[in-house]
Amino acid sequence: MRWPQTVSHRLRSLFRKRAVEGELSDEMRFHLERQMEENIAAGMTPQEARRSAMREFGGVEQVKEECRDARRTNLLENLLQDVHFGLRMLRKSPGFTAVAVLTLALGIGANTAAFSLIDAVMLRTLPVERPDELLQLKRQDPRYAGGGPASFSNLLSFLWDGGASPSFSNPLWEQVRDQQNVFSGVFAWSNNRFDLARGGTVQPAEGSFVSGDFFTTLGLRPAAGRLITGSYDYRGCPAVAVLSYGFWQGHYSGASSAVGSALSLDDHPFEIIGVAPPGFYGMDVGRESEVFVPICTVEISGIRSLESRSMWWLNVAGRIKPGIARAQLIDRLQVFSPRIFTAALPQYWPADEQRSFVKEKLVVTSAATGTSALRQQFDQPLQVLMAIVGLVLLIACANIASLMLTRGVVREKEIAVRYALGASRWRLMKQLLAECMLISLMGAIVGFLFARWGAVLLIRSISIHNIYALGNMPVLLNLSLDGRVLGFTAAVAILTVALFGILPTLRSTSVSLISAMKGIRTVELDRPARFRSRKLIVASQVAFSLVLLVAAGLLLRSFAKLATLDPGFDRNNVLIVYTDLWPAKIPRDQRPSVLDRIENQLRALPGVLSASRSSVTPAEVSYWAHNVYTEWSKGFTDAESLSMSVNVSPEYFGTLRMQFVAGRDFNGGDTATSPMVAIIDQTAARRFFPDLDPVGRTFWIDGIAGQPGPPIEVVGIVRDAKYQSLREQIHPTVFFPATQAPDLGLAGALELRTALRPTALISAVQAAVASVSPAITLEFHTLAQQVSDSMVQERLLAQLSGFFGSLALLLAVIGLYGTVSYIVAQRQREFGIRMALGAEPGSILRLVMLDVISVVALGLLAGIAISVAVTRLLQQLLFGIGPRDTVTLVVAVAALSMVALVAGYLPGRRATKIEPMEALRYE
Amino acid sequence: MTKPTDLVQGTLDLLILKTIALEPMHGWAIAQRIRRVSNNVLQVNQGALYPALHRLEQQAWIQSKWGESENNRRAKYYSLTKAGQKYLKAEESNWERLSSAIGLVLKTV
Repeated sequence: MRWPQTVSHRLRSLFRKRAVEGELSDEMRFHLERQMEENIAAGMTPQEARRSAMREFGGVEQVKEECRDARRTNLLENLLQDVHFGLRMLRKSPGFTAVAVLTLALGIGANTAAFSLIDAVMLRTLPVERPDELLQLKRQDPRYAGGGPASFSNLLSFLWDGGASPSFSNPLWEQVRDQQNVFSGVFAWSNNRFDLARGGTVQPAEGSFVSGDFFTTLGLRPAAGRLITGSYDYRGCPAVAVLSYGFWQGHYSGASSAVGSALSLDDHPFEIIGVAPPGFYGMDVGRESEVFVPICTVEISGIRSLESRSMWWLNVAGRIKPGIARAQLIDRLQVFSPRIFTAALPQYWPADEQRSFVKEKLVVTSAATGTSALRQQFDQPLQVLMAIVGLVLLIACANIASLMLTRGVVREKEIAVRYALGASRWRLMKQLLAECMLISLMGAIVGFLFARWGAVLLIRSISIHNIYALGNMPVLLNLSLDGRVLGFTAAVAILTVALFGILPTLRSTSVSLISAMKGIRTVELDRPARFRSRKLIVASQVAFSLVLLVAAGLLLRSFAKLATLDPGFDRNNVLIVYTDLWPAKIPRDQRPSVLDRIENQLRALPGVLSASRSSVTPAEVSYWAHNVYTEWSKGFTDAESLSMSVNVSPEYFGTLRMQFVAGRDFNGGDTATSPMVAIIDQTAARRFFPDLDPVGRTFWIDGIAGQPGPPIEVVGIVRDAKYQSLREQIHPTVFFPATQAPDLGLAGALELRTALRPTALISAVQAAVASVSPAITLEFHTLAQQVSDSMVQERLLAQLSGFFGSLALLLAVIGLYGTVSYIVAQRQREFGIRMALGAEPGSILRLVMLDVISVVALGLLAGIAISVAVTRLLQQLLFGIGPRDTVTLVVAVAALSMVALVAGYLPGRRATKIEPMEALRYE
Repeated sequence: MTKPTDLVQGTLDLLILKTIALEPMHGWAIAQRIRRVSNNVLQVNQGALYPALHRLEQQAWIQSKWGESENNRRAKYYSLTKAGQKYLKAEESNWERLSSAIGLVLKTV
């Protein structure tokens, strides 16, 4: 019950300081005067009375101080005092403060930027109601308990989708929806790119097909109008659309008239019924859906089928029922899994495939942070980035620690005086640490600003082209201020104080009073351990820099190898035109001839050297595959007989400048009625026709209903080319003439080799295609860009590690130079004496260099040990080079030693130029 | 002059609290009263008195008010709070127990 008075008392002491001090003085003065009166009354003269009273009282200031102590506000008052004093001291040495703050800002900023990226990609939860209750459903084939087989046959279900691989067909999803009893709400979605334009160049809008309970399960409320509900879950439902908030603001300026108006998606009208709440952009991190439409409308665009049991295009997730534990949920899922899979069994599969299908299980993973293909792709690189910036921070702190040590030496006299005045060591340390914290705080604030800017830059460089989509798809991440990022910055700031503040503070406050008063600097005492802390600091900087240089070297060389790889085709000056004939409503059987006409028209354009078309272009993500059977492949497993297949027109190999090894190209003689032919690449030749000449031999692929098709004759062999990404192993590839294998996918992508810049032909191409049919939609790329986009991860890592590696080197070299200069300056007197006694300047230099070499060597040894241990972690990110690559290590060591030795040599040389007399007089 | 260390802190607190239990007093008067009542045996030093007063005020056993002194000057008067009264009673009985216990030991040994 004394609480309120205690607190108000303390607050008053803090905030009404002047009044409280005044009262204290008054109280003391009153006592003295009263005592004086007593003394006068007892018979003393006024002066005697006064003197006696004061003597009796004792030291007024001491009493006052004791009273202040008794008021128990010391802690906070002292802190404020320290901060005030610290600010003054920092203002007095602006150079030091500026350097320290900037160095720290760089280190902290880089770390915060990296962390905010990690936070946005991996840690941030979806802006929906109670995200931790959300679980995503996935299929698991019991044959591959740890996930799918490594071969790409498992990836066939991976269509153009910005999220993680969808694995549900519509019938399967409907079974889950109707039969489950473990989720309070369950929904499905699938990402898709819609075209807002009606013919001509595509105007893309990212969107999602969603089931009825999508918005309700996520607990979202509309910002305008209404949202899609369960009533839309039937075949033939009306074509409605829900806009994202951003899209509504951007395209309609947030006008309420948008609700109820019509929107054209893939040349079909949709009615806008509402707007999603701000901040929600779908389930996938890194991607923003701008429109949400019901699943039943998917047949309008002709992309998927609602009845097909073997098209896997949906993702499924649900909110766990309250009261059910995860383990319980998984068990219950196992119970009705067989029912679900049996009911949605694809009818035309071979018997053994069907058997494994019904044995599949449903598993769950947390969906609180949404799904993301971005995560899978950048998970490791982001971690590597974090490690790199962490090391840079350590090196930066080491520099600041050296600076603080120097400052401590300069202030030795001041500290000694304060000791003499009665300060305790702890009090002094508190004051010095307060200065460190001020520096750290300022560094953190500036660093935080750097970080915002840096993170945006980083995202822009991975966003040039998302590897899973065609065309420009910017990576859109929510970088808004988040408690986690702020907390991280604060934690890093405190950590840096510990790193660069504690050692110098301890050293500064361990001052020998007598030596200080006499003016002898502690460093001049010839102890064997002098300068040891500085040398250790420099050695550690050298070690960390070496690790960073080695990592940077490995990543840079990886990227260089990748970039200069011969992909098997000529990627320059090729314009790629993707066509979509669907909006033009051209009947299936007429499509090949329409494409032929387009191909001929484009070939005739001025500036086009050659033109061709194919079903898949190099470095494009999606592909077709088939099993190939020959007389010699009887024992092959599924994976071994799988081969990529591409439909091409006769000019294809010429346009791409792919080289033939044997046989001929396709020509006009290969028509729909002539015998089936194919061209295979070298890998296919080696795999399917080992030690034979494949030309003239035949193979089969699957025909209808699992029976082998007609025999196909090999007429030519081309050199291997990289199709999917430059890093991959070459899969065997088989090329078919576009006239002969229409069910292998339309050869709707045109390649034009141009004489000039490919992009210069875009408008001419548009006009030419429009003359054939104006409703055909087009999308343009250059082959060079497509190939380069497939290397985005490697390029980014190379750039970042190169940048930070050089930064680290710079910091370490500055640290080394500074320390050696300092040591040389301290040893002036010693050197002067030596030279006066007859030592050659060369021997002085030798002394200095010996020191430098021993420190650098120590650092290098430690660095080599650390890098050998640590670079193993980079294994998966490297290409064409192992993590223990000795060449890189040797080069890094050599570069670092050279630079370090020069940095040490320069101050050393200065030492030899001094006149001995000057040195002796040096104070 | 009695040095401050001769009077244990707790004891000084007790004396101060008892002294102002009867009526509010300023610091000088408290010291005078203690000296007089103890027949000049206990002479409280200002270096101990004022810190003790401030500490007791900090802990809210006593409260202060500025008023006019007997010689028409401004002085800081201290008085007991309710909590202080209870505390005084408790400390008094503790002291009784302690001193009689010491007395017993001194008599028998």
